[in-house]
Amino acid sequence: MPLVTRNIEPRHLCRQTLPSVRSELECVTNITLANVIRQLGSLSKYAEDIVGELFTQANTFASRVSSLAERVDRLQVKVTQLDPKEEEVSLQGINTRKAFRSSTIQDQKLFDRNSLPVPVLETYNTCDTPPPLNNLTPYRDDGKEALKFYTDPSYFFDLWKEKMLQDTKDIMKEKRKHRKEKKDNPNRGNVNPRKIKTRKEEWEKMKMGQEFVESKEKLGPSGYPPTLVYQNGSIGSVENVDGNSYPPPPLSDSTSPPSPSFSEDSLPPPPAEFSCPADGNQRGPGLAGPKRSSVVSPSHPPPAPPLGSPPGSKPGFAPPPAPPPPPPMMGIPPPPPPGGFGSPGTPPPPSPPSFPPHPDFAAPPPPPPPPAADYPTLPPPPLSHSGGGGAPPPPPPPPPPGPPPLPFSGTESLSVAPPLSDATKPKSSLPPVSDARSDLLSAIRQGFQLRRVEEQQEQEKRDVVGNDVATILSRRIAVEYSDSEDDSSEFDEDDWSD
Amino acid sequence: MLLRCYDQAVAPHQVAAIAGQEDPVQPESHQDWANREYIEVFTSSIKKIADFLNSFDMSCHSRLATLNKKLTALERRIEYIEARVTKGKTLT
Repeated sequence: MPLVTRNIEPRHLCRQTLPSVRSELECVTNITLANVIRQLGSLSKYAEDIVGELFTQANTFASRVSSLAERVDRLQVKVTQLDPKEEEVSLQGINTRKAFRSSTIQDQKLFDRNSLPVPVLETYNTCDTPPPLNNLTPYRDDGKEALKFYTDPSYFFDLWKEKMLQDTKDIMKEKRKHRKEKKDNPNRGNVNPRKIKTRKEEWEKMKMGQEFVESKEKLGPSGYPPTLVYQNGSIGSVENVDGNSYPPPPLSDSTSPPSPSFSEDSLPPPPAEFSCPADGNQRGPGLAGPKRSSVVSPSHPPPAPPLGSPPGSKPGFAPPPAPPPPPPMMGIPPPPPPGGFGSPGTPPPPSPPSFPPHPDFAAPPPPPPPPAADYPTLPPPPLSHSGGGGAPPPPPPPPPPGPPPLPFSGTESLSVAPPLSDATKPKSSLPPVSDARSDLLSAIRQGFQLRRVEEQQEQEKRDVVGNDVATILSRRIAVEYSDSEDDSSEFDEDDWSD
Repeated sequence: MLLRCYDQAVAPHQVAAIAGQEDPVQPESHQDWANREYIEVFTSSIKKIADFLNSFDMSCHSRLATLNKKLTALERRIEYIEARVTKGKTLT
């Protein structure tokens, strides 16, 4: 249904109470005629508006056309003056010339308040303004605008931006890991042969009939042959299973020959080959050759279900894995944070008031436990903490009266204290408590504090760099598809300061 | 449309009506019908004008958009040609 931009004003011509007069019919007629005249008035106003818009647009086009005509004329003159003998033919010239780059200006902020058409803006202005909750902003401890908890127009953009930035970070970390593994395992030449085999394995799979293709992907994380419902509706069970999903299970255990365990007679031995590579690709733990037998005997049930399920689902994407890893793959490793964002994010912004604080400590949650565990617990704690969104989730139990932190770890507390005073976070009660614990914990907390300050700096950096969709997206895509060795050092600090 | 009882004195011109016909208010209702038809003509014309404006607006927008697309393509081509021609000259 189209959006009504211009509403002709007196909508109903004669629906109103009549004054008491003698001739009511005439009265009605006169009232109706008067309303018709008003309608004509508003109609003419809107007509003028419509034609005016078209006129301005046509004017801009006219000016563009005239400038284009000028350029064409100039070019014409230049071209006639071009002398083929003067052309530079040297190789150096070809290399030193600046490559042509057409100006790719992307249109952004198309649906902004400024580009709203005037009549729609007028309609919008007839609405009530939101209550002046911003008057309460000075009384908040966490420095956020109070109105943002009632209505936040930039909520979704901020959410998306955080997700993108998080994704870029994750991608870079993964790339660094891969690089590390490459350095660690000099035998990584095996990766390529495996990839080549996957296509063959695909064809092998298809050769036996389309209905058996699903068998590899439908294996549950248990490693036991589940009963499958194939694409054509027939039910079957797959027993050739495996270790597909589980490269981690040690090779030595799973060296049982693949063929005997195949209950599917129609699938010949080749499945052994292709079941391996499918996962070897994604996990790439440096397993050598096809020995890694696909078939893990049922005595090796799932090593790690959370780790297993992403690789288990990845064979579904295996079909052409060689080309750029599709975004879903990248999306899989950090499912928890977006999941955490996504599901609570869908209710209207007022309801999860704790979520705007999330971007602040999206990184700080302790690295090893998946952040997913943290987010569901978030809504209650921030509300309960007096500091607002400042307290991190890892159960900061109400600090047992922080007794002698100083004698316990003198240096650590000293070093903790300055960042504390610098970072004006409401965590003031926590560091003394953590110092009371083991050295390791205090070191972690210290790392915590340090990172929080860095986080602030990073955030400031980010704010300065570019707040629009195009730059963020381009940065993310560049990170995802680039194989560059030289990473920016700022993320390295993140890694090593853990 | 409700029929109302008109509480009014019977005007002289209606006396003839009463004498000749059943309905004393017939001229008034005739007149009313005529007025309503008149108003109906007005309103339908207004609707026609509104429809015309809408379709005019839409078609103009689509034509202007086509023009815009062509203009953008032309601009890009000209930019490219300028780059080709200009570089050829300045680096010699």
